Order: sequence, then structure tokens, then C-alpha cells
Amino acid sequence: MNRRFEQALNCEPPDRIPFMPAIYEHKAWFVGETPSKVCRDSRLFTAALLAEYERVQPDALTVGIDVYNVEPEAVGCKVIYYEGDNTSVPAMAPESAVFRVSEEVASLKMPDPQKDGRMPLNLEVAGNIMKLLGKEVPIRGALSGPFSLAAHLSGLENLFNLMFIQPDLVRELLGFACEVIKRYGQAFIELGCGVVVFDSQASSELISPLLYREFVLPRTCELIEHFHRQGVRNVPLIIGGNTTKMLDEYLETGANNVLCDVKADSKEFLQKCSTARRAFRRNMDSTDFLAISAEDVHRRTVKCLEESGGYSGFILGTAILPYGTPLSLLAAIRSAIQKYKRS
Amino acid sequence: MRELQDLAQLLEQGESQKVLALTQQLVDSGVSPQTVLNDGLIAGMAVVGEKMRNGEMYLPEVLQSAGAMKASLKILKPHLAREGAKSRGKILIGTVKGDMHDIGKNLVGIMLQGAGFEIVDIGLNVEPQKFVAAITEHTPAIVGLSAMLTTTMLNMKTTIDAIVEAGLRSNVKIIIGGAPVSQKFADEIGADGNSRDAVLAVDKVRQLIGHTS
Repeated sequence: MNRRFEQALNCEPPDRIPFMPAIYEHKAWFVGETPSKVCRDSRLFTAALLAEYERVQPDALTVGIDVYNVEPEAVGCKVIYYEGDNTSVPAMAPESAVFRVSEEVASLKMPDPQKDGRMPLNLEVAGNIMKLLGKEVPIRGALSGPFSLAAHLSGLENLFNLMFIQPDLVRELLGFACEVIKRYGQAFIELGCGVVVFDSQASSELISPLLYREFVLPRTCELIEHFHRQGVRNVPLIIGGNTTKMLDEYLETGANNVLCDVKADSKEFLQKCSTARRAFRRNMDSTDFLAISAEDVHRRTVKCLEESGGYSGFILGTAILPYGTPLSLLAAIRSAIQKYKRS
Repeated sequence: MRELQDLAQLLEQGESQKVLALTQQLVDSGVSPQTVLNDGLIAGMAVVGEKMRNGEMYLPEVLQSAGAMKASLKILKPHLAREGAKSRGKILIGTVKGDMHDIGKNLVGIMLQGAGFEIVDIGLNVEPQKFVAAITEHTPAIVGLSAMLTTTMLNMKTTIDAIVEAGLRSNVKIIIGGAPVSQKFADEIGADGNSRDAVLAVDKVRQLIGHTS
């Protein structure tokens, strides 16, 4: 078993810095299909994950393509899939929010992970991959965070508004979201997988650390504690955007792997994460990967690696890889990591 | 005038009901609606923009202020129309084909409206030809294209190409925005500018409107 990722999460020095590129829609490219097709076909989805492992050699694999859609769809929201050769990522239809202010949270349907939406398909894929690669590399099921799920259920702007006019209703909705995520996460855990929680709608690019602390932090702590109690020691929490301002709250969640995204202050992450003994994944910018050379990527990688300061809990990642990113660029990143010597 | 300062402050605090009441009071007492708009609402939203730029205000609070502004504008608009008041310029905004993200676009719309521009929002997942039709119908000074994904940002070029093909490119300035786009990308696809956030979008629009007037 590749223990590199787990070692970094425990802040124990791995043999080299782990590499965790953010591969979601790009998974589909590995099997020459569109994200809309792969995320609805367990055979293609499994093949895409195998291809990702073979070609990219990440230090952990994530079962997820359109990671924020699965839970809301299972509750009853509508996802737009693209037909033909359209490589856009499936998206929530904005008008399909199932929670209205006039309704009670209790009226929302609690999904069954074995039956509703694409939860069973994602679990089937996770089971397949566990059988094929579970002894070689950590496999994690992708979960929405409570705020992102609540945002999809109610509509983001509506949720923002409710935070001011009906804060108790928001807390109740977050409680429902938390329960959905616990149940879906539990199903991954029963397959022997780990979990990774994504909650970018709660980023300090959008909401203040104060609102995060008031509304999101309690439910996130509850969720992470729940998974710890289920025996899942490592629970990464991925919040995109510049989260430097909310880093204290981020670390208070109990997640032992946080994200230092492209625009975040890596120095502050290094200082606070090393003090708190938490791992952080530093994302390098990948938005221009369809237009730059392997040499450029190598240079960019070295620059990012130098930000690690020799910290054992440093993981190198990328922002979401564009569909069609050439494999030569990923090879350039791996090569730079292998050559890099910790100071 | 003290009441106008109060209006700006209440707007900044997102106090919709109080903004509504004070707007009505000011109009009833004979203050010019254009003055209420400029010295109350636009002044208040300028502070909101500044605080957002400095990280002192976040999206939920900005939306509260925008809601207050919208409510107030409902009172002012008929009066402004009677006075023959003109907006500072018409801006057409939309998220390009294949992209269902609208929060960034909406925020840009809010900040531009708060700065006194007239906004025509044609929504999300907008086909290039729909942009072309909307330019013909609304004759905006500026078109704003939004995309959140590396896959959909390519449709910004498709949209600009369609505008060129329709012979409308010289009629409008085009700005782009969204997480994956950059000034370099804007240059490559033939846009007039890029803005990395909603506050800077207002500056960019002012700059471009200046160039077009």
C-alpha cells in the first residue's frame, strides 16, 4: 500500500512529497468520453479511475466527477447533463432548488445511499476500485460539505438571504445536510474507503469567517467527529478559493488535511498548519494547462515545492485540471517532485 | 444633506425596510430622485464596493445591500423616468453557453447597478446567437461574458466570434470575468478587458465607457 499520503496527513515525513492533482471532469478524458456520460455509467467511471491511476499515478484516488451534484440530486434537485460531445461538467439547474422558505426542512426527503440518484452508482464504482486498487492506493469517496449541500438545496443567494432573515431555518437545513452526508459517507466507509469532504461554497471568497463560525463550523465539526468515530482517522476538508482569512476556523473543523488553494497565502498556511500539526495541500495554478509547455509546468512545480519549507505535512496538488490536459504536463510535475529534496 | 447620508448608511447595512421608508420620505419631501439615487443609493453602494474590495464585507452582506437598493429603485424609477434621467450606460451581461454558474455574474450586475449603470441580464448557459440577438435588441455599450469553468471559458471566444460575424463588434466593448480567465486570455480571444472581481469590473466598465463616449 502506498502510505505516502497517509504519512503526510499524520505529518510524518514521506519518502517524497505526495502528489494529489484535482482530477474530476478530466477523468472522462482518460477514456475518451464526456463527463456527462462517464458520471452516469459505472463501467466507464471505473475505467476512468483505473486510467487515472495508471497514467497520473496520484498518491490517492477520489471517486467523484461532479462532486457537488450527487447528494442534492439524491434529495430531488435536477442536474443538467450535456449530450453529444459537450465536455462541460454536469451542473445543477438553478431553478431546481427543492427547499423553499415556506416549506419545513422536515418535508425534504432523506435519501437512501443504496437507492437514490447516483449514490448507488458512485458506491458501485468505489466498490469496484477498492477491489482492484484498494491494496495499492488510498481510495476516498467524495462528499459535499454541509454548506455546499444546503446551498444547492435552497439556492445559494436564497441561503445567503436566509442567514439574515431566518437563521434558525438555515441551522436546521444545515443539520439535514449533515445527516445526508453522514449516511452517504457511511456507505463509502462500509466499502472500506476513506472520505473527502468538499465545501467550497463556504469559502471566505464568499462568506465571512464570522458567518462560517456561526453557521458552518458547528456542523462541519459534527461531521468530521462522526467520521472519526466510525474509525476514519483522515478526513480531508477541501474548501477552494483564498481561505487565508478563515484559516483559524478551517483548522478548528478537526480536518487533518486542508486546502491551500492557488490564491491562498502559503506562508500563513505553513506557519499555522505546522503549529497545529495538520497537513495542507498546496494547489498550483492549472487554469492555463491547455496553453503552456511542460517546461513551464516544471518551473511552476519547483516554485510551489519551495513553499513547503520542508514541512512533512505538505502535499502538492493542482487546481481542477482542464479537460484534455496533456499527460506530459503531469509527468513534468511528477518529475519535479521526484527530484525535489526537502531542505 | 443628513438624510441622504443616512440613506447611504442604511443601504450599506442592508436595512431594506428602512431604506424603503427613507426613500419614500425623501421623494415625498421634494428631493430630486436623481439626487436620492446619486447621493444616497450610489454613494452607499460605493462604500459597499470599497468594503468588499478591502475584505470588510462579503457576498451575503452585499446581497442584503443590493436587495435594499432594488427596493428603493422601485420607488425611484417612475420619478426618474418622468424627469427623463439617463443611466450611466447600458451593460448586457450573461454566462456563456454550457456554464450554469451565476453568482459571479449576478454580483457584477449588482455592483454595476449600484454604480448607476443599467443592467440587462440575459441569464446563464447563453448561446452565442442569444448574445447577438440581445445586443441588437438592447444596444448596450458593453457586453460582459462570464464563465467559471476551463471547459466553458472557450465559449467566450465562440461568443465573441459570433458577435464579430454579426457585424456588431464595433458597436460594443466586451469584458470577460470568471475564475479561470485572465487578461492574457482576454487578449487572445479578442475581448477588451478582463476583471478578476466585481468591484474591479466597475472600474473596468467606467474606463471602457470613458473610451466609448
